[in-house]
Amino acid sequence: MKKTKWLVVLLAFLFAASFALAGGTKEEGAAKKPGKEVTLTVVWHGGVCADMLLEIAKDWTAMTGVKVEGALVGYGPAWHDKIASEFAAKGSGFDLACWDSQSIGEFAGGGHCVLLNPYIEKSDKLKMSDWSPEMLARYGEYPDASGKIYALPINADAEGMHYRKDLFEDPKEKSGFKAKYGYELDIPQTWSQLRDIAKWFTRPPEMYGLGMMGGREYDYLTSVTNCLVWVFGGELWNPKTNEIKGYIDSPASIDGVKFYIDLMQYCPPGVETWGWDEVNTAFQTGKIAMAHNWFYFFGAMDDPEQNPYADATGFAILPGEVGRDGLFRREFSMGGQGIGISKYSKHVQEAWDFIEWYEMKEQQKRYGAVCQTGRQDVLDDPAWLNANDYNRLFRVAFKYTNDYWHLPEYAILLDILQEETHNAITGKKSPEKAMADCADRQEKVLEKAGYKIKRTPHVDVPDTVCPNPCGKPKIIPIHVD
Amino acid sequence: MTGRKSIAKRIVFIIILAVILIYTLFPLYWLFLASIKTRIDLFTIPPKFFFKPTFNHYKRLFIYTTLETGEEQQTRFLFWLTNSVIEAGIGTTLAVVFGTMAGYINSRMEYTGKKDFMFFVLSTRMLPPVAIIVPLYIVFARFRLADTRFGMILLYTLIGLGLATWIMKGFFDGIPTEVEEAAFVNGYTRFQAFIKILVPMVKGGIAATAGFCFIFAWNEFTFASIIATRYAMTLPPRIVAFMGTSGFEWGIVAASGYILIIPILVLFILIRKYILMGMTFGVLGRK
Amino acid sequence: MLTADYNKYARKEKMIKFLFLWPTLIILFFLIAYPFIMLIYYSFFNFSFLRPVNTRAVGFKNYTSILTDTYTWERFIFTFKYVVLAVSIQFLLGVFIAYFLQREFSGREAIFTIVLMPMMLCPIVVGLFWKYMFNTEWGVINYFVHNILGFNQVEWLGTEKNSLWATIIADTWMWTPFMILLSSAAFSSVPKYLYEAASIDRASGWFKFMNITLPLSAPILILALIFRLMDSMKQFDLVYTLTGGGPGDATQTISFTLYKTAFQYFYTGEGSAWAFILLIIIIGLSSILIKLLNYLSERNK
Repeated sequence: MKKTKWLVVLLAFLFAASFALAGGTKEEGAAKKPGKEVTLTVVWHGGVCADMLLEIAKDWTAMTGVKVEGALVGYGPAWHDKIASEFAAKGSGFDLACWDSQSIGEFAGGGHCVLLNPYIEKSDKLKMSDWSPEMLARYGEYPDASGKIYALPINADAEGMHYRKDLFEDPKEKSGFKAKYGYELDIPQTWSQLRDIAKWFTRPPEMYGLGMMGGREYDYLTSVTNCLVWVFGGELWNPKTNEIKGYIDSPASIDGVKFYIDLMQYCPPGVETWGWDEVNTAFQTGKIAMAHNWFYFFGAMDDPEQNPYADATGFAILPGEVGRDGLFRREFSMGGQGIGISKYSKHVQEAWDFIEWYEMKEQQKRYGAVCQTGRQDVLDDPAWLNANDYNRLFRVAFKYTNDYWHLPEYAILLDILQEETHNAITGKKSPEKAMADCADRQEKVLEKAGYKIKRTPHVDVPDTVCPNPCGKPKIIPIHVD
Repeated sequence: MTGRKSIAKRIVFIIILAVILIYTLFPLYWLFLASIKTRIDLFTIPPKFFFKPTFNHYKRLFIYTTLETGEEQQTRFLFWLTNSVIEAGIGTTLAVVFGTMAGYINSRMEYTGKKDFMFFVLSTRMLPPVAIIVPLYIVFARFRLADTRFGMILLYTLIGLGLATWIMKGFFDGIPTEVEEAAFVNGYTRFQAFIKILVPMVKGGIAATAGFCFIFAWNEFTFASIIATRYAMTLPPRIVAFMGTSGFEWGIVAASGYILIIPILVLFILIRKYILMGMTFGVLGRK
Repeated sequence: MLTADYNKYARKEKMIKFLFLWPTLIILFFLIAYPFIMLIYYSFFNFSFLRPVNTRAVGFKNYTSILTDTYTWERFIFTFKYVVLAVSIQFLLGVFIAYFLQREFSGREAIFTIVLMPMMLCPIVVGLFWKYMFNTEWGVINYFVHNILGFNQVEWLGTEKNSLWATIIADTWMWTPFMILLSSAAFSSVPKYLYEAASIDRASGWFKFMNITLPLSAPILILALIFRLMDSMKQFDLVYTLTGGGPGDATQTISFTLYKTAFQYFYTGEGSAWAFILLIIIIGLSSILIKLLNYLSERNK
């Protein structure tokens, strides 16, 4: 009997010890103190921008005593999953969250974030016009064109190009190129020119002409193929009729996919597994002459400590192309995140106060030193524009951006598009079949979610019937100084 | 003739040993090198075996240099490390203790539903974490266990219990019942026999079980990344969150991989003799 | 007097049973069974935690749509190929290395610890790191294959067949120590005097292994096999970081598909159905092995 008592005592001790060491729940700590110390938790993916936000937030803490702490997660699906699970469980684990612009449909559509319009209207520090209408729409509006804002831009991004200026300006290269192709070696204004330049610089195994993303994960491949689909006049879908068949599998879209496949031969082998990490590395090790990359990484390309070729690196806006209807289009993907307030947070007002302060010009200027802000006045500020070689480009670039579907089903549609496009570029299916399957599967997803699809006659170049078509009758070069 | 045979045997032995060691160690060695290479050196072609090492990655795990002013502050690495130690450590201890007890009972006694119980215990290991994580998280949130150390400890106990129960049952099964009968004859109660005689006999099993449970709990990623957010966060989800301006920080991943392995290595060094030693208790023997 | 003693004894036995079993049962029930019951419930709905609009009961439709989808069978086949290959290799290698390490030699303890190290690493780190090593251009593996041995550069993660083997290699590297550890523990618990008795009869090493070591360690070995099989079917961290399910959808195991359905798509209903189907499969496989295990345990007694 004595021994049994011992056992009970031991078990009780173990439980007590685990309680003591476990330190109770955080709610106990916070709720028991009157005039409590509020801590806001922000979820974002780890990185320089998040670090900057938290640093700037320290000033807010000094001013108001409200602490702002980060719960940073890894980039990739895990980041989306973390936010999604918390929302799904209606948990108060975080107060603010930054998500990719495309996820606004999922989170706002599910009713998980706080509508910000009343707060902005009442605010004396911020007004709607602080951001350009596209900025607000892209990062925070749901549904499209409704005017309802659920997130404010926290980091703006777009795709661009960087290249080896030293190679482009080398007289031998220039004369050789002109002799072969008949025009000056310069920043390409069309993708065909880019292909020529890529072919010119492809000298395996030391150097290849181009590096671009092509990986199956997340949105690596399609953020590039979308550019190509768009510039050839293709589209992902028609937002007005919810049609996907006849859009992503239209002849124009397939032109884009085929062009990507063509470009792959001028990229280092293995490009079908590349994310931006590999693109960065290839450029920094001098393997590629041009890179298709996000503006987010231009800072690293400009930094001699990270890029041995920093002094020889030039930046440019991505080219456009003339589609099969003879019209010129220049479009590429946008990136970046918006920040929203969780509806289940216990500190909605404090969260808004912080965001209100953070999105003011002074703070955004500080933030603009390392990342791109969404505020128009900072984007127009000469100090920011002249801070380096590429800020000026960003201001121009954003006008040419296009985006994925802003629907709650975004994640599913993305995955299907990624999978089928990847099948096309790895040769598992022909581009026509892959895109047709993609359209088929995606429409099933929409139907399952309850969308009504209105059938309209199909055209070869869907951009002509979509809202806001952008084909121009002639090539419009961009030179930004 | 015996001399030649045994030299040949020795050579074969050494060759096989060398192959095993190279196969195991090369990736570990390469990982270590990665943790001290600069980013540029990580990606040279051909891969560099000789280079100027940097301990910056290790430093960056603990020290964060602010972007604006360049001053240095501590990261929360030690906090996450502490969480990992507490949560995995206590969770493993509880799992081994309860599992040993349950394993013993299931080895020796009968009761209604015994097969079902054992199967139920095993079935808890069959489901991938991703399947139940959202419902589990909802349960946790309702009981206010989300993002608490206690909740995580409970979780890790759970993860280890299935393994511990079955492995310990297996080891207890290997001990003939005559051992306890002899103990009873000598006046021990069942409980005393359990603690004083049987447990020491299965030290190897306990050591192996504790080792596994700790490894699984310590390295656990899926649950930790979702259920913990700030207060109870452990190290594994944090490793992948290090992203620099150029993108993914391979050097830091490698460095944290090594830091993470240290506690487990220490544990295994401490328990290795229990696993390796043979059973010398052969007094009763087998018929 | 004897009856009174017996009753006291029986009660104590009962109390011990109670005390020993119930903590395990309670924890497991609340943390596993209860969410799982929720899961089963949801699997009959077209429900998403994230997008709760549009929920309606759909009966068995989730199950039928999974089972009739052609992709599903591709995933099953891939998962089986992967699990069978990986676990067999790990089992054979593990038993071999464990047996090898049974002999006494100087440095044995250190070598034993070293051999176990791959298992101690975080699976996330292992997956990421093997991805780095398998990189076509910068990976050290291709360096050996191409530059030193002179073969063509292998696109490890770029083709279906290669990525299957890449995953198996990484998985084997990481989990063979699990087999080694359990096998060592099992081999160690074979009483030494049996070997001595066999030596007296001039038995060879092979004979000893086949007739003493193997039969007596069989229960633990089979147990290790069961665990390895189950863990392999659940395998997620490695595939997630190494291939991301790619190229295309080539390395999507069932577990990975489950993750995608339940997390990326947040189709809770369908994800739950997947989970249940996966569970049935694993239960089926394990039952067969458990029967084998029980048979061997009984025989040893």
